[in-house]
Amino acid sequence: MQRVGRRGIFAAAAAVLALGGGLTLAAGLGSNDDGPPQPNQGPTAVPDIDPAPDSVAAPVAPAPGQAPAAEVTDLGPLLAASAPVAIDIPSIEVHSTGLVPLSVGADGVLPAPADYQAPGWYTGGPTPGQLGPAIIAGHVDGPAGPAIFYRLGELVAGDEVAVTRQDGTVARFTIDSVRSYAKAEFPTSLVYGNTTNRAELRLITCGGAFDRATGHYVDNIIAFGHLIA
Amino acid sequence: MGMSSAFAADGDLNANLAPVALNGVEGSGTAMVKVQGTMITVTMAASGLLADSPLAAHIHFGAEARNECPIAADDLSADGTLNTTEGGPAYGPIVVSLTKTGDTSPASGLAVERFDTAPGGNLSYERGSIQVSEEEAQAIADGKSAVVIHGVDHNDSGAYDGDVMSDLDPALPAEATDPALCGVLSAAPVGSMATGAGGAASTGTDSGVLLAGTGLLLAAAGTGAFAARRASSKA
Repeated sequence: MQRVGRRGIFAAAAAVLALGGGLTLAAGLGSNDDGPPQPNQGPTAVPDIDPAPDSVAAPVAPAPGQAPAAEVTDLGPLLAASAPVAIDIPSIEVHSTGLVPLSVGADGVLPAPADYQAPGWYTGGPTPGQLGPAIIAGHVDGPAGPAIFYRLGELVAGDEVAVTRQDGTVARFTIDSVRSYAKAEFPTSLVYGNTTNRAELRLITCGGAFDRATGHYVDNIIAFGHLIA
Repeated sequence: MGMSSAFAADGDLNANLAPVALNGVEGSGTAMVKVQGTMITVTMAASGLLADSPLAAHIHFGAEARNECPIAADDLSADGTLNTTEGGPAYGPIVVSLTKTGDTSPASGLAVERFDTAPGGNLSYERGSIQVSEEEAQAIADGKSAVVIHGVDHNDSGAYDGDVMSDLDPALPAEATDPALCGVLSAAPVGSMATGAGGAASTGTDSGVLLAGTGLLLAAAGTGAFAARRASSKA
């Protein structure tokens, strides 16, 4: 969709140049804002996260002379429930202390925050740091310009996200991948399901082309991360 | 899956486990269920539980139940605590016993030797390939079931004891079976999120601006390319 759009621009620019006297307009097109940053993803749109294992990994055999360890499912570091109150993503200069709760409507859809500068967290999911994928969504832009998650598409693997919680603890996540998905093919299981048996984070905003007819972007950009401490 | 049947419940569900009213547990956790046909995978973590005692955990559902976690008003005996029976009108009977090994049917509801303990009060549980009936799979996928972890310590003795015996098994103290944490398994939200209004959208995707700015030139150059682009963006 976006590529088609770009071809359109080039076609227009070529037409302008061919007609002459279009130098100013052509330069204008060249310096036009390209819109929100998009993730630099490879040819495949499959995030590199492990599928849910069918069973718990075989326990490591205990060293001789040692009592066998209790069979405990390893779910990595986890925190108790506590609502998020602030989010900091230094690499894209996101700092917000105004997180708002989000819950699904009667139609089952999770609405975006009403405030374009406020990230929202999904109250039906784990709080950040608990087992499972915690969801924080924010607008890429409002009617007047960039919003809180405008630069989300710039995130790359290894970037850090710190979520401060009501109990004073800070859940620190590292980004694993950033992908763009057509809204019509939204990967519900990858976003909301248990994919890795650990505490995870999903940051969601909009991306791709903006469809004036519907008033919506055609893609969602999703950053996948996991709790490191 | 279901080659001879049109039945196919699928979905990802999450329960935020919270303290059951009146029972004094200061804990929390999450339980996730993936439904694939009549097979479910359950992954669960909780903290703040009684350490080192077996914790019976189940998925509850009842067609007649409220499909929620019990509230203080469910304490029909007015003894100040909620036992499993009193929670029944809220979450219904057991449909899956979340045992570590062996049978997962309601018959294993009190198979204490096959349930997890919580070292340091922390419970970690994962089990796949649990078979349920079509009706149960559908109820779970529809967000009508609840996960309940049982086992409390009303008198803070560090073990299951006390004079009150269980409403489920007179050989067990009530503490061993009273519900500790509960959460309704909610279906994942439907579809995508509308997280943009277009105020910072690329002008390259804004046909209105583009057409206004280049209208005359386009008229001269022919609008074939733009017609094609607009048609495809509506597809």
